[in-house]
Amino acid sequence: MADLQHDIHTTTEVGREDCLPDDPFPVESGAAFLERAHALLEAHPVADGYSGLPRALAPLPWYDLELGEAAVDTDVPRLREGHVGALFWSLQVPERERGERAVGATLEQLDLVRRVVEAHPEGLRLVRTAGQVIDARNCGRVAVVLGPASAAALDDSLGILRVLQSLGLRVLSLAGAAWAGEKGLTRFGEEVVREMNRLGVLADLSGAPEATLARVLALSKTPVLCTRSAAAAVHPHPANLSDDLLARLGEQRGVCMVPLAAEQTGPSVPDVADHLDHVRVVAGPECVALSGTYDSGVAHPRDLADTSRYPHLIAELLRRGWSETELSQLTWGNVQRALRSADFTARATQRRRESTPPRPADAEA
Amino acid sequence: MTSLDEARSLLREFPVVDGHNDLPYALREQVRYDLDARDIATHQNAHLHTDIPRLREGGVGAQYWSVYVRSDLPGAVPATLEQIDCVRQLIARYPADLRAALTAADMEAARAEGRIASLMGAEGGHSIDNSLGTLRGLYELGVRYMTLTHNDNNDWADSATDEPNVGGLSAFGREVVREMNRLGMLVDLSHVAATTMRAALDTSTAPVIFSHSSSRAVCDHPRNIPDDVLERLSGNGGMAMVTFVPKFVLQAAVDWTAAADDNMRAHGFHHLDTTEDAMKIHRAFEESHPRPIATTATVADHLDHMREVAGIDHLGIGGDYDGTAFTPDGLSDVSGYPNLVAELLDRGWSRSDLAKLTWQNAVRVLGAAEDVARDLQETRGPSNATISDLDG
Repeated sequence: MADLQHDIHTTTEVGREDCLPDDPFPVESGAAFLERAHALLEAHPVADGYSGLPRALAPLPWYDLELGEAAVDTDVPRLREGHVGALFWSLQVPERERGERAVGATLEQLDLVRRVVEAHPEGLRLVRTAGQVIDARNCGRVAVVLGPASAAALDDSLGILRVLQSLGLRVLSLAGAAWAGEKGLTRFGEEVVREMNRLGVLADLSGAPEATLARVLALSKTPVLCTRSAAAAVHPHPANLSDDLLARLGEQRGVCMVPLAAEQTGPSVPDVADHLDHVRVVAGPECVALSGTYDSGVAHPRDLADTSRYPHLIAELLRRGWSETELSQLTWGNVQRALRSADFTARATQRRRESTPPRPADAEA
Repeated sequence: MTSLDEARSLLREFPVVDGHNDLPYALREQVRYDLDARDIATHQNAHLHTDIPRLREGGVGAQYWSVYVRSDLPGAVPATLEQIDCVRQLIARYPADLRAALTAADMEAARAEGRIASLMGAEGGHSIDNSLGTLRGLYELGVRYMTLTHNDNNDWADSATDEPNVGGLSAFGREVVREMNRLGMLVDLSHVAATTMRAALDTSTAPVIFSHSSSRAVCDHPRNIPDDVLERLSGNGGMAMVTFVPKFVLQAAVDWTAAADDNMRAHGFHHLDTTEDAMKIHRAFEESHPRPIATTATVADHLDHMREVAGIDHLGIGGDYDGTAFTPDGLSDVSGYPNLVAELLDRGWSRSDLAKLTWQNAVRVLGAAEDVARDLQETRGPSNATISDLDG
């Protein structure tokens, strides 16, 4: 396991002395919590694990994210208001574009992302590594991380995985792949995970069958992500994780990114906070993060309608006594750690492992 | 000094830029990209026209590796990406001999280092699946030319070896050409119909290339270039890279191939059928009708004519090695280029002419495409046009 130190700033001006975050009897009003949430997010912005923006923008004839764009839930002013410092842009393709069309559709999404980011140089910056996320933040830009892409985008080829990684892909969903099914990974599936480790592409296991999740947790040399999973014990949903899986994810130091999706969490801010409380306890405070799921077609809990609303969620968690350290891990630190670990694992693996043919003959089983 | 010695000395200074080599596809077909099974650092004469020792012997300084995939099967985009991955794996495996090249400056740097500049060309517009976003993806991945068609028409361009469909380029086809100009990806007119050649020359603001085509006046085959098109290259600034494929360059071989194909059809087989029964028929034909042999002189005849019509600044070489079963005598594999240069020296080509043919023209053309792209990007963003927008 390559768990590296990550830089969490511990600023002191955030909490008021008369009301420490762990104070069981906070005397603050709602407005004061909100103010503290803003201050905290100023220091520890949100790394949002899932945005459906590319597909939401594709059909629009024109848009301007710099000035504000009412057609979508995400634009630069609202990202700034919500203190979003990094955003994972989903490249997932719709079901109807699975099969060999999926590869071209993914290339088109990559092209669209590149064009959108180039058109908003003041607000957005395309990044690949954890270090570049920090650079972007230091330059006042929202870091755009590429992924998750659909497993179908590989067309069952390690060569295509390598090509997509060279275009900047950082996260690949394993859900729906023939080689990552109900029985776990096939031998080819294991090759895919090893090659992902070698390339620094993180596995997204939200929606993947339980046996696959378990196998990848054992196989992957770097922590995995579940970009859109909440706690099944709090609110049953097929994409939510059982306590058993959450605990195993925690052992692997993977990151469960709780979606702001009413269907998975329930319809209110306290519902979302319940999930975060639960995942924090079961998986651990270093294994929980946030996933806005904005512009992906799902309904959001009340008061969390767009990317500007994160402070309202953080205020609720402050009210519940989350410490600043825990909150900084939740919003930023855990995702940074996962990216950094994947970067490190890739560098370390490339020294000893060469790339294999795209469809290895001995891994067809 | 013999002309062959002189040719070798000339190639040391101005090595060959070859426009088209199908090694990646041969590796796909022969060994499913198991690069250990075809270690091109060692002689692979039994399997391939191409390996590093023979590239060195042939004086090759830059190679456009074709990332060709078949146009008659679905899945062209994924297959093309695998071909690109293959080229990258080769470059990563043999860093002392191959160097990735994306620009004219990279080509010169490779020459200065004594490595073989490795560029990529996509052979057929089917590789972008009617999508300008995918076209940009290929450029991003390093593809620096795209042949507009292969042997079959696509939805927006007519092939030389298919029935006329859109009459050259459709409106979307012209938009593809404009977007290629904007990116700095060379428009390759090998394989396309003469109508497509003319439409592309009308549309393109950057130099075009023929990555592997010869002269139709010398040998009447649709894969070759008519004189009226060759004449336009000087105005366009582009180049025609002569190919060696016997069934395109030698009239007797063209006629023989037509007769052999007729014979196959007469026996109820498709002319490209390679099943055992079909091959038996083919072998019997070949025994009674010896296959005509092209030579280095055959190719030189094309160059002499093309030089007269297009001009010395608009010629190059595109062997099509590992993309053709047969090759001319003297040019049997990638080690043969010095024989061609020697033949041209004997015909009175000067050293400076030959430097243009082998190296300088190709570097100039890629650099010119980069300049055009830089200018266009000042005034134009990426095109979002779709084929349904433009062609209905």
